[in-house]
Amino acid sequence: MTVLETKRLAGPADLEQWRGDLRQAAGRITKRVRICLGPGCVAKGAAALYDRFREAVEKSGADVEIQTKCVGCHGLCACGPIVIVEPGEIFYQQVEEPDVAEIFRETVLSGRLVERLLYQHPVTGQKVKTADEIPFYQSQRRIALAGNGFLDPVMLEDYLRIGGYTALAKALTGMTPEEVLLTVEKSGLRGRGGGGFPTGRKWRSCREAHGQPKYVICNGDEGDPGAFMDRVVMEGNPHAVLEGMILGAYAIGSHDGYIYVRNEYPLSVERLKHAIVQARDAGLLGRNILGTDFSFDIRINRGGGAFVCGESTALMASLEGRPGEPRAKYVHTVEHGLWDKPSNLNNVETWANVPAIINNGAAWFAAIGTAKSKGTKVFSLVGEVVNTGLIEVPMGMTLRQIIFDLGGGVKGGRAFKAVQTGGPSGGCIPARYLDAPVDFDELTKLGSMMGSGGMIVMSEDTCMVNIARYFTHFLMDESCGKCTPCREGLAQMLAILDRITHGDGRPGDVEKLETMAGILEGAALCALGKTAANPVMSTIRYFRAEYDAHILQQRCPAKQCRGLFRYQISVEKCKACGLCRKHCPVEAIAGAKKTPHVIDQQKCTRCGMCLEKCPFDAVLKV
Amino acid sequence: MPTVTIDNIAVEVEQESTILQAARQAGVWIPTLCYHPAVPPAANCRLCLVELDRGNWKQLVTACNYPVRRDITVSVSSEAAVKARRGVMELLLARAPENAQLKALAKRMGVEGTPWPTVTKTQRDCILCGLCTAVCDEVMGRAAIGVAGRGQNRAISAPFRQPAENCLGCGACAAVCPVGTIQIRIHEKEGEIEISPFKTRAKLLKCEQCGAQVVSVAVTEEALKRGKMDWAKFRQLVRLCPKCRQKRAAADLSTVATLASQIGYLAPPRAAAKTKTARRPRAAKSRKK
Amino acid sequence: MPDEKIVEEIVRRYDGEIGMLIPMMQDLQAACGYLPVDQLKRLAERLEVPLSRLYAVATFYTSFRLAPKGQHEVTLCVGTVCHLKGAGAISEMIREEFQVEAGGTTADGLFSFQPVNCVGACAVAPVMIVDGKYYDGVSKDSAMKILRGLPLAEAVAGGEGKP
Repeated sequence: MTVLETKRLAGPADLEQWRGDLRQAAGRITKRVRICLGPGCVAKGAAALYDRFREAVEKSGADVEIQTKCVGCHGLCACGPIVIVEPGEIFYQQVEEPDVAEIFRETVLSGRLVERLLYQHPVTGQKVKTADEIPFYQSQRRIALAGNGFLDPVMLEDYLRIGGYTALAKALTGMTPEEVLLTVEKSGLRGRGGGGFPTGRKWRSCREAHGQPKYVICNGDEGDPGAFMDRVVMEGNPHAVLEGMILGAYAIGSHDGYIYVRNEYPLSVERLKHAIVQARDAGLLGRNILGTDFSFDIRINRGGGAFVCGESTALMASLEGRPGEPRAKYVHTVEHGLWDKPSNLNNVETWANVPAIINNGAAWFAAIGTAKSKGTKVFSLVGEVVNTGLIEVPMGMTLRQIIFDLGGGVKGGRAFKAVQTGGPSGGCIPARYLDAPVDFDELTKLGSMMGSGGMIVMSEDTCMVNIARYFTHFLMDESCGKCTPCREGLAQMLAILDRITHGDGRPGDVEKLETMAGILEGAALCALGKTAANPVMSTIRYFRAEYDAHILQQRCPAKQCRGLFRYQISVEKCKACGLCRKHCPVEAIAGAKKTPHVIDQQKCTRCGMCLEKCPFDAVLKV
Repeated sequence: MPTVTIDNIAVEVEQESTILQAARQAGVWIPTLCYHPAVPPAANCRLCLVELDRGNWKQLVTACNYPVRRDITVSVSSEAAVKARRGVMELLLARAPENAQLKALAKRMGVEGTPWPTVTKTQRDCILCGLCTAVCDEVMGRAAIGVAGRGQNRAISAPFRQPAENCLGCGACAAVCPVGTIQIRIHEKEGEIEISPFKTRAKLLKCEQCGAQVVSVAVTEEALKRGKMDWAKFRQLVRLCPKCRQKRAAADLSTVATLASQIGYLAPPRAAAKTKTARRPRAAKSRKK
Repeated sequence: MPDEKIVEEIVRRYDGEIGMLIPMMQDLQAACGYLPVDQLKRLAERLEVPLSRLYAVATFYTSFRLAPKGQHEVTLCVGTVCHLKGAGAISEMIREEFQVEAGGTTADGLFSFQPVNCVGACAVAPVMIVDGKYYDGVSKDSAMKILRGLPLAEAVAGGEGKP
């Protein structure tokens, strides 16, 4: 990782000069290897790949300059580690350390392909060369993730090379704050953190509010389980977030910014800190940005471990060094927010969209997406789906297109059952609504919401009552406990769901859950409490039969809830090897040699050990 | 000045007053637990929910902290509002089923019993309204107790669950507790006041005249620090219990009056008139906590 | 660094800004391994905020520890099958012999004890996991033997090391 000397830019002309120099220098290097260092690939050992490639470059003594680069997440985590070779944008997937030598020798030095590491098209079965030919990437439109995979996140120079800070220069020297604000308003950009509030309108309210100083805040507290979009932006292209915030501050009239990053993302903190230092050194942040009289600086503050701090008033309480307890929003935070001053809070992804909107104009952005949901959205596609990872697509794409065309469908050929969207504030959507377009409003009509973009795909083996219980337990753990309905209500709901999933459900339990949902929605203080019953209500709405089976028959149709389904040995498949009998902790299996074994259901504790040990798949869940 | 029409009664109120203040002006009763005029409203208990008419939809809001900025129409007795308040009270009753004050409030609301079982495990008799901590921090300036934990583990406690080192023993927390969970106990033998359940104790001052236990030493020390006063006189007075203090004051007054009448300045002395202390409620601002 | 200087250094690092309280407490925890009472008292004094505020923050956010973790982590499965095989009795014995609560740490900091609900190794119940290593089919005797044999490192004085 070479650290080039950062020069302080005196103005836009300086910036363009530097950008030109950087592009020229980069143009001279024809061979380059880009190694993805997103969280998924790193977990699979990508860091070592980078070292191996660098060694190979050093040892090769080739007369052409070869550069190795760590880049941000590409998105197709299921195929990681991902390595891309220039020229040609050759896309290699599932690369392991022993492959490095071959790739270097064959592709980098000699331009030949290593077939076995290429991606295989799921329909044609052919090997494809570049990302453009992979269905996962073909329908994507990357705006917030545009820089990911192309730039080294710790190099300001890379961000400049791909056009970074062009928007800032344009705005500061060629547009008034009002013009910047108008552009964002006309673009139709809505908050990407889950609320979907029109961003331009929020900026305008803050601009018009009385009081100084005004604060511009970035919400980096991504807490929805299954969501990692913001992490990938913060770690893969931190400057995009900074540039967006500076543009917002200019439009609003703020000089003080904060980025609040959740405690569980230390790498995001590191990358952002590094980017801030670089931007300051270059005169792109801090006093007299790009030689103008506009000054704005950003500080990073961290969470302490609380999901509720993703809520804006709780986040601001945390920024004041207090427990993250939300407060009433009858008086908006744009009027009285951090330290009681006008504060504009936006999500990471929202900020990352702003530079592109300023560069390309409001009409360009408004032409993408649907009538009321403009632009694109980053989704994390996870769970029982083939292509787990991150995608960015225009608003309005259907669930079916996302899960089956891009996602490759359900893993292992299992049947699709539901997709959970919007995190703990959202709900589960069943198969019959797969053709629903995904945007701010459509999924809400179905009892869920788009939320921050998490999409957890569930197969037929998932018990929806158990899912409801899981989310209720999560929210109960994360509730701040301040208001009666959320604190007491979630405990009551969990008690009921615990009974149901343990075979102790009673008639009337579903109605009790529905009553509690009504109390939460009407009486809770903040959005966490108000939406806390969504997972339960959506599963009751679409999977009532499963609840009834649990309650009335003590049976779990998905065969997931321990004790609510039985194990049975298949007479046809059993080879009487006796392994199950040996491992049964309560000696519930009987069987002589050459006789299919039988489980005594009275003794059986449903521990599942027999299924685990059987080498012939003869133990069935019934 | 905006007008609040509450259950069809129209009242004009100051800008930024709350719906609760408007209701009190109109004589409409709204149940509250975590509201107290001495501290900014927290709106935790959610008992004071009313329905706000927003034209094409209705919104449930808490009356204690909703600021009135224009003409609004509010319903306290609508079905949705009554149902919401009932739901909240039923949850509270499930938490503290034996609490007499809570049950009395519930009865006044028309809520008898609760369909929910008791599932909470910690500090059950406390409804976590936070008034005690607010008063201790914002009125007394001590913050000897605070809110600890989160969610199911949220509890009122002194730091590290030990008796608080800076507790004055003033009993303000007990005075504001709406459900009588915080109690004051006087330990005659040790001459101490105890604030249970925090197990904090403070030494009490004894009346020099009659020996009655008056007030905690720490409170008097704190009072001495604040404000201008005749120290010598005050020190004398503070060592007396209220009864003895009254006797002393009456004696002082009669001395002056006798002298004055003797020199023809005043009418003959008669019993000192009772003074009424005017109390101005603090304007409620929304509490940012 | 001597105990008294740790807080001073941390407060200086953040210019005593109360808004940076969480990062300050995180730095303190990194220096001491947990948040000791006396250090928190120092911090409260230095920042001129009530101790109850720091206690509220320390108990609200899950990343903060008010007690040091033990040098070893002991997990005992008390799921259904393990329970049937006597895990309950083993749990009680551990708690009594070592004077440690469920979820707590022994007084000498040797180990933290956490009973859990099913680790999924029911065939070899009862199961005890020590520092990630699985011990199957433990009895009261064998469990005691394992725990008594755990090495106790020299106590780390002052604030530098993590336990």
